Amino acid sequence: MKLKKISLWLTALVCLLGLFAVFAPSGQVQAADNSLQRVKDKGTLVMGTSPDYPPYEFITKVNGKNQVVGMDVDVAHKIAKDLGVKLVIKQMDFDSLLVALETHKVDMVLSAMTPTEERKQSVDFSQVYYDAGQAIIVRKQDLHLYKDKNSFAGKQVGVQTGSLQQDLAKKQMKKSHLKALTKVTDLILSLETNKIDGIVAEDAVAQAYVANDTRLAKIDAKFDLGGDENGTAIAFAKNSGTLVNAVNHSIDQIKQQKLTKQYINNAGKYMATNTENKSMFNYWSYFAKGVGYTLLITAISVVIGIILGTMFALGRMSRKAILHYPAVWYIEFVRGTPLMIQVMFVYFGVGLLWNNIPAFFAGVVAVALNSAAYVAEYIRGGIDSVPVGQVEAARSLGMSQRDTMQTIVLPQAIKIIWPSLGNEFISLIKESSIVSIIGVTDLIYQLRAVQAATYRGVAPIAVAMVLYFIMTFTLSRILNHAERKMQHG
Amino acid sequence: MAEMLKVENLKKAFGKNEVLTGIDGVVNSGQVIVVIGPSGGGKSTFLRCLNLLETPTSGKIAFEGQDLTQLPEKKLDDIREKMGMVFQSFNLFSNMNVMDNLTLAPKRVKGEDEAQAQKKALELLERVGLAEKKDAFPESLSGGQQQRVAIARALAMDPDVMLFDEPTSALDPEMVGEVLKVMQDLAHSGMTMVVVTHEMGFARQVADEVWFMDGGDIAEKGTPEQIFEHPQNERTKDFLSRILAQ
Ligand SMILES: Nc1ncnc2c1ncn2[C@@H]1O[C@H](COP(=O)(O)OP(=O)(O)OP(=O)(O)O)[C@@H](O)[C@H]1O
Ligand SMILES: [Mg+2]
Repeated sequence: MKLKKISLWLTALVCLLGLFAVFAPSGQVQAADNSLQRVKDKGTLVMGTSPDYPPYEFITKVNGKNQVVGMDVDVAHKIAKDLGVKLVIKQMDFDSLLVALETHKVDMVLSAMTPTEERKQSVDFSQVYYDAGQAIIVRKQDLHLYKDKNSFAGKQVGVQTGSLQQDLAKKQMKKSHLKALTKVTDLILSLETNKIDGIVAEDAVAQAYVANDTRLAKIDAKFDLGGDENGTAIAFAKNSGTLVNAVNHSIDQIKQQKLTKQYINNAGKYMATNTENKSMFNYWSYFAKGVGYTLLITAISVVIGIILGTMFALGRMSRKAILHYPAVWYIEFVRGTPLMIQVMFVYFGVGLLWNNIPAFFAGVVAVALNSAAYVAEYIRGGIDSVPVGQVEAARSLGMSQRDTMQTIVLPQAIKIIWPSLGNEFISLIKESSIVSIIGVTDLIYQLRAVQAATYRGVAPIAVAMVLYFIMTFTLSRILNHAERKMQHG
Repeated sequence: MAEMLKVENLKKAFGKNEVLTGIDGVVNSGQVIVVIGPSGGGKSTFLRCLNLLETPTSGKIAFEGQDLTQLPEKKLDDIREKMGMVFQSFNLFSNMNVMDNLTLAPKRVKGEDEAQAQKKALELLERVGLAEKKDAFPESLSGGQQQRVAIARALAMDPDVMLFDEPTSALDPEMVGEVLKVMQDLAHSGMTMVVVTHEMGFARQVADEVWFMDGGDIAEKGTPEQIFEHPQNERTKDFLSRILAQ
């Protein structure tokens, strides 16, 4: 008996590893280079970017609509026009960009990315299209303390996770304590609240923040830079020679005609309108959209989660091994791994098989599948707590197992399960925020966008926090009301 | 008298624990059988085997000529419909009021329509003296009332035989009488009944046959007179002397 159990667990493990084996090698397949042809065939050029990095890329309102703008976007438009295709912009975290290339979610990445040797191992780069120095942003009142990178010995220095600046600081600011965060906006906030003393950033970025925030100033970092380590280029999946050549041709023109200057001016205009009115009210549509998406994701996930959760619960309670063990494995596995990894796995992992999986769809699927495992356990607990006598009485009257389940067990179980389901609903509102990492435009995502657009750190956080609270509080009132009605009905 | 239930060499084990070691017996149509015996002797298990709530390990249970142990699960629902069962702990459906408790199975299983089912339910409630409680929920009823509703619920399926597993053991003493009265009336109406009980008075007055069960088999069978006045088996004598000493 014991042996049988162990062997079943082993089978489960093997199946799981098999699953990874299916996904793993496909990343390394070396197909013939049809990168340019593919883009022309589908008629779209998909650009991946992390729009929180003005003036390169950021979000602004154009004719009442949120839009990604900036120098990189202008460069991409020029390239798309030269290729005769339509530009599509996909937003995601900076950390996710290279994975998105490898998994062919995007054709190219323009996100103020520097072509470092490490990155060149995994992706192809175009020629450098823009050269900017490196600066360090500091608090204005501390400006007199610093001269260059060497003034920061023993100080806290912020960098963006996975950025060139992080590499440079690691190598050339060995005496400083580095603090890496994903978002520049969070770094700025850390600086203003004295958590760090400086931020290493590209000069253009530093300039943008300093120009928009009187509390900030910048100095030249004076790093020792070699060749390509300085400047930004466009990243492509490995083995995209034909596409890279075509793009380099466009970049030649950009350089000859000195278009970048014009692009930066454009960006500056957008930034100025962004900062004209920094009041949170001005950005209500961002927050409203975020709340809408958060509620939508939660609602869909709850419905799917309850349906699947019921099935898994019944599966787990079944005496048939073929139903019982898969349900047990699923529940244990999902509850034993973080939601964040599940979201990334669905978007990038499953995305290897299904190329154009929309981020929203992937996010909802991951959250719903996650919720199903928890709901399954609540339902199982509820069903278990219905006294067996109830079932025996029904069966002794000639009622079938299914009838008994439907008319006696589930209605009684629901009363017991309801409060936990309500809690699950509420916690989903909060936990679904994780989908923002793959670019789903939920409330957290919009909060980032407002931070980037207004150069304000705390106010958008406060607004989002209050909005989350209003959502969860209202929901818990409604659920309590329903519960009271049910107990009396 | 027609044979309604015939049990042959019925055995039941839970793992290594042999609870029923070979039971034989016949219940004729219209008969009232009272099963008595010490705790843990297998009385409940025996009763639950009769309507296959418990699957026997071996042996035969013929009900109206059909061997139940050979039937697939689906067919068993049709059989259980004809065997009413009353439990020690009542087991009324706690998510429904009295009326729905009585009409659920007739509607679901027999396909009766609402009006028909309600009419019959009211008659039955009348019969157990609880018509005015038709809209009450089980939790608001006393134990005795709940058990009478449970009996009515079983009767609503028009069963051919009624199985009772210690129907009064969970009741406060003052409520035992009202339930026994209902059972007595039922017996007089000609219902075939198998009753597990510790109520020796009921056994004496109502039983056609008393079966004494101990250690997984039936040690002795006979009329109430035979069992209570002239028990043959040592175990029976021992059990009765302990019971009557209380
Ligand atoms: N589902 C079960 N699993 C395992 N053992 C069981 C199960 N049901 C009953 N038994 C065992 O079978 C034996 C007989 O139990 P049963 O309930 O039939 O006795 P009983 O004569 O009805 O006793 P009582 O007068 O206490 O109700 C006991 O030893 C009990 O532990
Ligand atoms: Mg018993």
